[in-house]
Amino acid sequence: MSTEWLAEASGLALGYGGTVAVRPSSFAIPHRQVTAIIGPNGSGKSTLLNALAGVVRPRAGSLTVLGRRPGGRPGGVAYVMQSLAFPAGTPITVREAVGMGLYPKIGWFRRPSASDRERVRSAMDRLRITAFAARHLDELSGGQRQRVYVAQGLAQPHEALLLDEPLTGLDITSARSIDQIIHSERDHGHAVVLTTHDLDEARAADWVILMNGRVIAAGRPSEVLTRRHLEDAYGLGSLHASAGPFFDDPHIDEASAREHDHSRHAHPH
Amino acid sequence: MDWWTEPFLLGLQQRALLGGLVAALMSSVVGVWLVLRGMSFFGDAFVHGVLPGIAAAMIAGFNPYLGAAIAALVMVGGIELIHRQTALKEDTAIGLLFVGMMALGVTIISKSKSYTGALTTILFGDVFGVNEETLTTMVALGLPVLIGSLLLYRPLLALSFSPVKAQTLGMHPRFTHAALLVLIATAVIANFQAVGTLLVFGLLVGPPATAALIARTVPQMFVASVGLGALAVWLGLVLSYHLGTAGAATITLVAIAVFFLTLAVSRLTGSAREGRAHRAEAAHDTAEGLA
Repeated sequence: MSTEWLAEASGLALGYGGTVAVRPSSFAIPHRQVTAIIGPNGSGKSTLLNALAGVVRPRAGSLTVLGRRPGGRPGGVAYVMQSLAFPAGTPITVREAVGMGLYPKIGWFRRPSASDRERVRSAMDRLRITAFAARHLDELSGGQRQRVYVAQGLAQPHEALLLDEPLTGLDITSARSIDQIIHSERDHGHAVVLTTHDLDEARAADWVILMNGRVIAAGRPSEVLTRRHLEDAYGLGSLHASAGPFFDDPHIDEASAREHDHSRHAHPH
Repeated sequence: MDWWTEPFLLGLQQRALLGGLVAALMSSVVGVWLVLRGMSFFGDAFVHGVLPGIAAAMIAGFNPYLGAAIAALVMVGGIELIHRQTALKEDTAIGLLFVGMMALGVTIISKSKSYTGALTTILFGDVFGVNEETLTTMVALGLPVLIGSLLLYRPLLALSFSPVKAQTLGMHPRFTHAALLVLIATAVIANFQAVGTLLVFGLLVGPPATAALIARTVPQMFVASVGLGALAVWLGLVLSYHLGTAGAATITLVAIAVFFLTLAVSRLTGSAREGRAHRAEAAHDTAEGLA
């Protein structure tokens, strides 16, 4: 059976102002699967996510998401940015922040329907934030705020969920809630694309994109997270301290590597 | 009782109150978005940036509203030009235009026969000189500002949250930002003749900033801001009458004093509320962790 693609890029180059963030790269991201984008700081992970969301336009090459120009299809992609990107002082309750996810559907003036309101309620339930619904965003911890932003993404009509470092620096409760969402989204036939610094998170994904100023490799974790690729991305010798196995390590076969992943992951695939 | 009603017995005093209330209503509403967008410095620069346009109109004898509108366009165009053509941050661009336009305004006014009088009128207005014509213009320009501030609720809320988020939600952040600049400019132009550019800025920032301390949602912030703006106008005029001080400046002082008073009260009462909220939050997280 042929793979259904969420995104396809050919010679894609990205940048801001005078800065080149991603040099020409060609790759594809599968639909209805979990894809992890991994790489060092400043490697272009968030820029690539911004491009998939339609926020950053390609400098060169082409990029299509769900067969169209990114951002050109309402109901296609919901983008959850890092929680630090938002001002905590905006006077807005958790319920209203999650309800903003409905804006692409209800526009500037339309009142939310009963099913729209149910969608918001369901998103809050799934992230276990219903108890905070009337709370001001400023009164939440960082992990709780991150759950609100993921719920906002769920409330937004979407086929793919883009998450920028969704698990970085979270408490166990928040990380577990979001980890469950990532897997249940895939089970519901949606694609999930997330950026991460964590090799274990990348190993647990269905598809990995390894970056460092360009896409170094894209494919199944076993094809991408090899010693050669990782040294190419992070520098020679920089990974000697890593506790995780490499898929091309001659001392370990792939089955035991996967077993290692699952033992570390709360919800194995 | 006379102490409160005496300042409003005369027609000119009643018109001053009415003009101030119209200015407060308009400025306090659009000011909520100005504060939420973190554009207070832009607002400050903007109210001073219209100075050369008004000054040129006064000296050359054309409509001061037109002069202010032209100056506002030059100001925004200059900021955009610097922002797009250089790597300088926006606040530097705003600062350059702020001081440049202010200096140009003072230079133009210095050619007038009554230099000090003209400058004082522009900066501080003449709240007791509000006539029916001024009021009509204020209402005609103020209604679109009010309606626009409310109609753009969702795009402006998303923009206050994050321009990138607003874009991914299909809320057209560039258009929304431009529309907000037009609303702020209209509020300044509509009100400067009655209450002066200084008081317009005081009403754009003071009541919304105070409202931000006590409101939990943006609609609550609108209501609180309008109420606080109206309070500042009324109390300011009462105090200015009894103390013999300048009306517009006294209103501005009251608006800022109310901010600090509210800050003090909210800190005293808020610390107890935050303690309760954090304890409830910790209990909830513990229960979830155990589940």
